[in-house]
Amino acid sequence: MADIAHKTDEQLIVEKHIANLHNGFAHWPRAEEAPPALGDSRWTQDLILATWLMAETGKPPENGLEYKIGASGGGFDVLDFNIPTEDKWLPADTEIDLSIPLNRRDDGAQLNINIPMYGGGMSYGSISEHVMQARARAAQHLGTFTSTGEGGYPPSLVLYKDHIITQVATGMFGVREETIQYAPIVEFKYAQGAKPGLGGHLLGDKATDVVAAMRESVPWVSLFSPFPFHSVYSVEDHRKHVDWIRTTNPRALVSVKVSTPTDVDMVAVGSYFAGAHIVHLDGSYGGTGAAPEIAKKNIAMPIEFAIPKVHKYLVSENVREEVTLMASGGVRTAYDVAKAIALGADGCVMGTAELIAIGCTRCSNCERGRGCPFGLTTTDPLLQQLMPADWGQQRIVNMYNAYAIQLRELLRKLGLRSIRELRGRRDLLKYVG
Amino acid sequence: MPEHREAQAGYHRYHIPTRPAPDIEKWPSRFKVKVRRTGLAKLLLSEVFHYRGRKDVILSRPCMYGVFSGPVGGFMPREEHCVGCLRCTTEFPEFVRIEHNPERQKLGDSYFTFNYVDQIAYEASSGLVPVRGAGYRGKFGGEGWDGMWTDMSEIVRPTRDGIHGRETISTVVDIGYTPNFLQFDAAGQPTGSLPHYISIQLPILFEGGDLAREGHVARIYARTAAELDTLAVLPFDQAIGLGEYAHAVVPVVRPQDAPRLSQLGFAPRVVEMHGWDDALYTTITAAFPEAIIALRTGFEDAAALVGYARRGIKVFHLLADYHGRSQDGRFVLDLIREAHTAFVEAGIREEVTLLGSGGMIAAEHMPKAMICGLDAVAVDTPLLVALQARFNGECAGRDASHFSLPSNLNEAWGVQRLKNLAASWRDQLLEILGAMGLREVRRLRGEMGRAMFMKTLEADAFAGLLGYTEAN
Repeated sequence: MADIAHKTDEQLIVEKHIANLHNGFAHWPRAEEAPPALGDSRWTQDLILATWLMAETGKPPENGLEYKIGASGGGFDVLDFNIPTEDKWLPADTEIDLSIPLNRRDDGAQLNINIPMYGGGMSYGSISEHVMQARARAAQHLGTFTSTGEGGYPPSLVLYKDHIITQVATGMFGVREETIQYAPIVEFKYAQGAKPGLGGHLLGDKATDVVAAMRESVPWVSLFSPFPFHSVYSVEDHRKHVDWIRTTNPRALVSVKVSTPTDVDMVAVGSYFAGAHIVHLDGSYGGTGAAPEIAKKNIAMPIEFAIPKVHKYLVSENVREEVTLMASGGVRTAYDVAKAIALGADGCVMGTAELIAIGCTRCSNCERGRGCPFGLTTTDPLLQQLMPADWGQQRIVNMYNAYAIQLRELLRKLGLRSIRELRGRRDLLKYVG
Repeated sequence: MPEHREAQAGYHRYHIPTRPAPDIEKWPSRFKVKVRRTGLAKLLLSEVFHYRGRKDVILSRPCMYGVFSGPVGGFMPREEHCVGCLRCTTEFPEFVRIEHNPERQKLGDSYFTFNYVDQIAYEASSGLVPVRGAGYRGKFGGEGWDGMWTDMSEIVRPTRDGIHGRETISTVVDIGYTPNFLQFDAAGQPTGSLPHYISIQLPILFEGGDLAREGHVARIYARTAAELDTLAVLPFDQAIGLGEYAHAVVPVVRPQDAPRLSQLGFAPRVVEMHGWDDALYTTITAAFPEAIIALRTGFEDAAALVGYARRGIKVFHLLADYHGRSQDGRFVLDLIREAHTAFVEAGIREEVTLLGSGGMIAAEHMPKAMICGLDAVAVDTPLLVALQARFNGECAGRDASHFSLPSNLNEAWGVQRLKNLAASWRDQLLEILGAMGLREVRRLRGEMGRAMFMKTLEADAFAGLLGYTEAN
């Protein structure tokens, strides 16, 4: 009671709603009936609730929630693993290695990540600084990375710079000499899966004073990151981009994030020959920010089809062992990660799953009014307090811990000691559509 | 170019003026908000005590959209404001429940589902491109349009056009005849057939040939088409008296209309003949010698279409039913490809114009239909949905379907709704074209290399997996 007397109304309001929300995140995964309006074909009620539960406990759900597949009727949802009989499983105490290398070339730093996943780009402005901090701290804890997205590099993230990828996109928001020099990895975003070929767009309502300052723009004006890079029309042009980064930061690995057009295989090979260490394919069904509905479903192919196409082509060009292939765009679960790797990726880049872990209901109202009602994709000063960074960090760490448990168990049953052995093992998959 | 310089140069950049045009008929809300009053009352009492009467804290509600901001808050939720964010039910699982509203889900029919209705309603009321967060929410693929993706142009494609702004992409299409080549006599004068076509600003026509049976609807279609510089296809009886929009009205002429052609009162630029009829063709040609004559017919027989082209028809308005099916049950996507291919194989595709209607009910269906071979889409049922028409049962057959329009439908509102819809669809088309690096929509026609089909992609990706067969 004494506490209440000394707190401002705003403090009490924030505390009240945080307590209620946390209560709800714990309640619903254990309830007999799920919220009727929750979920969709891709992220079903069960997947969302299971992610909440994993984010709370750090373990896979044991209460019957379906945490492996969704109900989209295609792609990852019609694939399963062909698990051998039990006598072929590895012993339960077998050490299973989930680390993957991000640099398979001879040049640059030899970076490994402890889990075959890192966080995808979500820009300052499209998400709150608290969310960025939570993701960065989680990446540090897990021994992996997260990406700034294209919205600048808030000073509060510098503490975690060894685990942060600096993204460079056409708007060049927040791209400065020091943000390139901080970065162990620099990511060129040529396109993104949710809106391939359309560029980035921060709606004016989200360009607050702070966000605009970070992007060196003026407040309350929509900020476009137009497609494409007008300095890049060839592999040679792209090579110049890579050289520019290497001049500024010789240590940095270069990642190239591209969408999935019909010639995605050639794009990937071109990116490799231009000097990329990481080719990051972003399929059409993902995305965390606002995007035109027409783009999400209709432009470019889903990641499930792009991965084997690119993997096979890299193999045929004899360069597969020199490049790391990361996949994103509709990768929702640990099992999706494993399927992507079996189809030919080295690892996956995660976005939506992290947001769901910290309370996203996928209501899709990210861009409406003040932004996300759960304080995630918003720059509203009051709303963003609903997701404290330390709470968010732990939720993300827990989710990945639960993923790691699932991946190790799956690999053990498949008789594999390392996630690297799973790459391209299509023979371990079966079609169940 | 600055606006005043454009004006000086006699150039006018095409633009559709949009303006909010909210619903005139109240439709059921998207969500039902159920609050157990006893639970809410208990909460309020406990918070009054806990927060020592700090009113702003107690009354701080979980909804940002105003559902609980009425005079009595959660005791009478304002469901029409609910966007389904679920924050309230997350905060108060014990007594707040959000459900999809089954009444809303009854809008439309089994093909034109309520999701499409919602989308059209948004487009027609706002004129904007629907934008939402958090990625794609639907099924992976499916039959028909859902099993097709469009391409985009990535960084290192040497053939890319380059695109420096969506505003420079042209959406003009030509309706009529263009010969494969021109011939000239010794004096340099053209001989043989000459181009005979008109250009319209949008690959979107308004198809009211079967639907605009009421005069005020026909007038809304005609006026909007005129203001947008496109065409409205209307029944002959409804076209009479619309002379003020003569350049935009395409009368559909049936054999029984032949004796009355002079009643039309104006010379249309395009006339649609309802089914092939030698005598009717002669009559129309005589009555409107300058007009382009289009044949309004089914998709069924692609070979017959080529035959009609040889007999003089150069514009075909091909109709599937409102669910996109031909009489023999095939889907419009395949039918368009068949018709297009038949003309390509006959070597006369460049000479004819293919318009299509039926089953194209969302903005994305337009570029997909054009990739499959249409020059332009004559939009049918989405226009009625934009005008807030309700479906009376299943509406598939062109003659057997019944829609109810709002009783207070008025012309100014209707025109703005259709303009908004056209603007939204055009902007979405520009997004698709921009992603491909195309500068004009005419290049999209028949660009099958810009299409990706689920069957093919899945076979490429999954062939050889245990359990996978091509039949999947």
